[in-house]
Amino acid sequence: MAEMWISMGPQHPMTHGLWTLKIKVDGETVVDTEPDLGYIHRGVEKICEARDFTQITTYCDRLCYASANTWSHSYIYAAEDLLGVEVPERAEYIRLIAVELQRIASHLMWLGAYGPDIGNLSIMVWCLREREMMMDLLQELGGSRMHYNFPRIGGVKRDLPHGFSQRAQAKLKLFLNRIQEYEALFDESTVFLVRSQGVGYAKPEEMINHGVSGPNVRAAGVDYDVRWAHPYSVYSELDWQPSVERSSIKGADCYDRYRVRVEEMRMSASMVLQALDKIPGGSETYHEPGDPKIIAKAPSRAPEGTYGSHHFEDSRGESMFYLAGGGEGRGKMPYRVSIRSPMFITIPYAAKCMIGYKVADIPAIMGSFDPCIGETDR
Amino acid sequence: MGKKISAAGQQKAAEELAKAISSIDGVSAELDSRASGTQVRHTVSATSTPDSWRELAETLAADHGVDYCSMITGIHWPEANDKTWEVVYHLMRTGVTDPAAIEGVIQPNITDADALTGADVPMEIQISISLPDTREPMVASVQDIWVGADWNEKETWDLVGIDFEGHEGMRRVLNPHETPVGYHPLQKQHKLRYHGFEEMYDDAQGYMRKPADAGKIK
Repeated sequence: MAEMWISMGPQHPMTHGLWTLKIKVDGETVVDTEPDLGYIHRGVEKICEARDFTQITTYCDRLCYASANTWSHSYIYAAEDLLGVEVPERAEYIRLIAVELQRIASHLMWLGAYGPDIGNLSIMVWCLREREMMMDLLQELGGSRMHYNFPRIGGVKRDLPHGFSQRAQAKLKLFLNRIQEYEALFDESTVFLVRSQGVGYAKPEEMINHGVSGPNVRAAGVDYDVRWAHPYSVYSELDWQPSVERSSIKGADCYDRYRVRVEEMRMSASMVLQALDKIPGGSETYHEPGDPKIIAKAPSRAPEGTYGSHHFEDSRGESMFYLAGGGEGRGKMPYRVSIRSPMFITIPYAAKCMIGYKVADIPAIMGSFDPCIGETDR
Repeated sequence: MGKKISAAGQQKAAEELAKAISSIDGVSAELDSRASGTQVRHTVSATSTPDSWRELAETLAADHGVDYCSMITGIHWPEANDKTWEVVYHLMRTGVTDPAAIEGVIQPNITDADALTGADVPMEIQISISLPDTREPMVASVQDIWVGADWNEKETWDLVGIDFEGHEGMRRVLNPHETPVGYHPLQKQHKLRYHGFEEMYDDAQGYMRKPADAGKIK
C-alpha cells in the first residue's frame, strides 16, 4: 500500500497542547514520525536576561501550567547555587511540602487527561475533584491557584498558615483512600487495559541514552531518581524510596507508566505527611514573612564569570537551570539563562516509540509520557 | 533514613573522574563542589578545547559510564576578552541498566545507594568549550554518542547560532521554519528593552511616551 504523511495537530486531542506530530503511515501502521514543536515559543530565556533574579521566578512559574511550583523551585535552587545562599532548614521543609503537593496535582492532571485519551471519561471528573484539594492547599501557601510564585531566593514567601497541617493531613488521608477508587476504575476497565497494555514499549538504557528521565524511566524497572542520586532539599531526612514498576521483558508499556505515577502520588502524599511531622519548630508555629527562620538574606548581584546550575526532579523528569552571572546592571541580571525541559527531549523519543504500532495507539502512547507543551516550547 | 548518595563517596568519585579525564590533551578538569539549599553536591567541572571535545566525549561514554546528555547551552560573549562563543555541556552518569529477568520474571533494579563506589556513583559533569571569534562557530556533534544531545544541538543552533559538525537533520525547532537565515535570537546584538519599576509606576499606561519615530517623516 502507498505510504503517506499525515499531520496530527496542532489542534488534536492527542497533543495535550499546541504542536504537530507528522506521521508516515502504511495503511493503519505508523512507519515514521516527526514532531514539530515551537508553536508557543515565548522566548523565556531571552526575557530572563532583562529581568533581575527575583523577577525571574514568576516567569518560571509560567513554564508549565500543570506543575508551576516544581519549575519555580528548580530555578530557585540554581539561583541559590549562583548567589551562594544558605537556606534555613524550616524553609527547605516548607518547599518540600509545596513541591510534593504540586507533584500530586500534576500527576492528577495527567491522569485526568489520560482517561479521556483512551476512552474513560469519568476519571477526568474524579481526578479534577481531588486536584481541587491540592490546589486549595497550595493556594493557602502561595495565595494563588495556578502560578504560586511561592519560593524566594533564600527561603519561602511565607510560613505554613495556622491550621494548615490539620487541613493537609485530613485532605491527604482522604486522597489516599480515593487513589484506591481510581485503581478500581482503571485496573478493572477492559477498555483501558486493552488500549494501554502491550503498546509503547520503552527500555531503560535506551531511554537514558535518549535523555528521557523521571517516572518514564522508573516505569521500566530502574530506581534512578535525582532526589537521591544528586541530593537536594531534605529528602534524605524522610523515609521514602522511588516508586519502581516491574515491567515486562520488552520494557515499560503505557500501563506501567500509569502505574508508576499512581505509586508516586502515594509516595508524595506520604512525604508531605512525614514532613509536617518533622518540620523544625513544628507545623503549628507561624513566622511572619521575612523572618530569618524561613528566609535568609541573599545578595542580589552575581559577578561575571560565576555560574550556577541545579538538576531537579520535576514531575515529568529531570529539569535543570543553568545561569551565567554578570549580565546587565553590574550583575543584577543573569547574562544567560538556559532551561532544560524534560518534555522537550522526551517528545522526540515518544514519537519514535510509536513506530510500528497502529494509528489508534498514538493517543495512548503519547499521553502516557505526560507531555506538557508550556515547558517544551519555553 | 531516606535513600541518599553519600557526599564523601561522590566527592571521591568526582576526584577520580576529574583526574582521569585531565590526562587528555586540551582538557582540564577539577572537582567542583556546589551548594544549593542546605546540601552540597560534588560534581566535575571541565574545560576542553574544541579539537579535543570529540575524543573527550568518546572517552567519557566508553570508559567512564557517562550515559546521559542533560543539556547543551550556547552562550554568545561579544564583549568578553578570551572568547566570543561558549558551549556548555551538562552530562550525567546515571548507572541505569536494563533490569535482568530471573526465571522469566523481570527483577527491578533497586540500587543500594550506600554500596555504590567508583565508577557506579551517579555524577554530574559540566564541560565548557570556548570558541574563538568567528562568524561560523562550530563544534563536533555528539548526536551519535548520546541521542539525547540531538534536540539539544538543534535548539542551540536555532537559538544561539552555534553549529554542530556532523549533526544530521539540523533544522529550526523553536523558531518558525521560515525564520531568516542567520537570525538567532539569543545572540547579544538582539537587545530587549527593560521597563524599569520607576517608568512603570510613573506612567503605567504609557500615555506620556512618544513613539520612537515621532517627528520623523514616515
